[in-house]
This record gives sequence, C-alpha cells and structure tokens, in this order.
Amino acid sequence: MKKTIMLFALAGFTTLTFAQKKKTTTSATISFDATTKLDALPKAENKTVVASINPKTGDVAFESIVKSFTFSNPMMQDHFNSAKWLDSEKYPKATFKGKITNLAEVNFAKDGTYSATIAGDLSLHGVTKPVNTTATILVKGKEVKTTTDFTIKLSDYAVEGGAIAGGKVATDPKIIVVANFK
Amino acid sequence: MFAEDKKKISWVKRLFIIGSLFLVIGVFVAWYIFTDTFDDTNTQKASFEINALDLIKQFEKSDSIANKKYTEKIITVRGRVSETEIVDSIINIKMIDTITNGTILFAFQQQNVDDTKNLKVGDSIAIKGSCSGGVYSEILETEIINFKRCLIIK
Repeated sequence: MKKTIMLFALAGFTTLTFAQKKKTTTSATISFDATTKLDALPKAENKTVVASINPKTGDVAFESIVKSFTFSNPMMQDHFNSAKWLDSEKYPKATFKGKITNLAEVNFAKDGTYSATIAGDLSLHGVTKPVNTTATILVKGKEVKTTTDFTIKLSDYAVEGGAIAGGKVATDPKIIVVANFK
Repeated sequence: MFAEDKKKISWVKRLFIIGSLFLVIGVFVAWYIFTDTFDDTNTQKASFEINALDLIKQFEKSDSIANKKYTEKIITVRGRVSETEIVDSIINIKMIDTITNGTILFAFQQQNVDDTKNLKVGDSIAIKGSCSGGVYSEILETEIINFKRCLIIK
C-alpha cells in the first residue's frame, strides 16, 4: 500500500515538474493577413517560428526570421521584405516577449482549455510597441497548444507606403500565432 | 474643310488604336505579375551545395557575412535528420550541431510534403531549398537558420 502511494506521489511530482518547465518549439506558425477588397495577395505564413512558454512564470515569447514568411506571389514577398516595408536586410527578426497576466486561472497540470490574457512587447521593423491580447491554451497531457490572434497598426511600426495609402494593403493586418509545445 | 476633318478623324483613330494597345499590354503585364508564383525548387539549380554542420559554423562565425552569401539563394544541404516536428499536417526537418545546438530548420513546399513522412532521426539526406537566413535566437540561445520551399533530393 505504501509503495502504491509512493508511486502515485512520484508520478504526480513528475507531472507537476514537467508542467512547470519552460517549453520551446521551433515549428510555431504565424499567419499574416493584410488583404483588402482591392487586393487578395498580401497574405503570408511562416511555419518555422521559435516560441516558448514558461508555465511557472507565465513568460511567453516568439521569434521569427522575417524572410521566412512565404507569400504565394513573388512580387508581394519582395515588397514585404523591401526597404520601404519591413526592411528585412536591416531588421531580420521579429520578436514578441510577454507574460500571461492571469496565470492563476491556467492550470498547466490539468487537461483543459483555458483563456489567457497576455501583455507584452512586439518588436518589428526596429520599433517596439506594447501588445495586449487573449490566447486559448489547450492542455492535453504533456502537450500545450496556444492560439492567439491580434491586429497591429502598420503605421505604429513605421511601415507606410502607396499600397497601404491606396487601400491595397490593410492598415491593420491580422496576425495569428499558433504554437504546439510537446 | 472636309479634308481637315478627315485628317482629324484619322489622328483620333490612331490615338485610339495606340491607347487600346497600351491598355491590352498593361492588362497582360498586371495579370502576369499578380498571378505569378514561385518556381518549383525542383526546377531550380542550387547556387551552393554544403554540409549542414559547415553551414551552421559559417552562420555562428558571422551571421551578417553568411546572410549576405546565402540568403534567398537555392542551396543543397547534406546532413543527418536530428529531429522532426509536425506543423499542421506537414513535417519540418531539423539538422542540429550537437555541440553548439546551432539549428537548421527546413520547411517543405506543398508539393513535396510527402517526402518527409517516412524520414527518421539519423537518416542521412540532402535537402534543396531557399535559404531565409540565420539569426541568433534569444529563446534557444543559439544560431537558427531557416529554409523555405524545400524538397528532398532523391
């Protein structure tokens, strides 16, 4: 009986320890959607995003190589990376560093779907701005899947140009970030 | 008077024909640009062929120099599969320097996602793709190099 209790205690401790450890992935995805009624091309995806989540501290982060965003159209991809837009030669990385602000409401040791509020800073095109968003956190065994979406104002990040002014590119594109931690 | 009118009409006709021609060319160019897609990596010649660990070392030494040399170039990388990661329904391949943890991440083009299904850790392979460059990852505390539109050379 004692042995059984000890085994259950050990299993519980192991699960808790695992749930508390910082988790990382190199295959998070970011979808960028700046389409408008006039143009369906400014839409891209990056499936090689590095992301992390720390269940103990609530720290969340992601990093993306800007040139890893793939568009269906080569010209659109060139514009996206050009000096007038994100200038990916000069600013090759986009990063987000934030915290889950309602960490007490997310139980990483128990299976379930949780709603998290996140506050952090997004750095893009050499400009850092605060971003507040909500995320859905799905806990299933050792796996944690996070999904969040938010919009950014391109002008906040000093991204401007004729295509934006002319309504071909949305002034406030939608960003969707999905990370699956195992 | 009648001759002058005839001359005027002839100029209007010419202008109309030239204008229409420019319009047709313009529409064709716009259509070509907006429906253009990336060439299949399979049909593109690699600018470089390199061992994975050598590529990681070059980026670790100076990513600014390596980025200038390799970014947006088609490259064939030879190495062993260190890890595989499932993203949606597709699989990303990783080649890692076990000493420095420097990592190359390969994302496959849609028509070649099936190439990765039977791959196992330790398999020795050659991957061709477009290099997106490398940066130091503060999260992983190591250099990461990304590739897009990849395929496995059989």
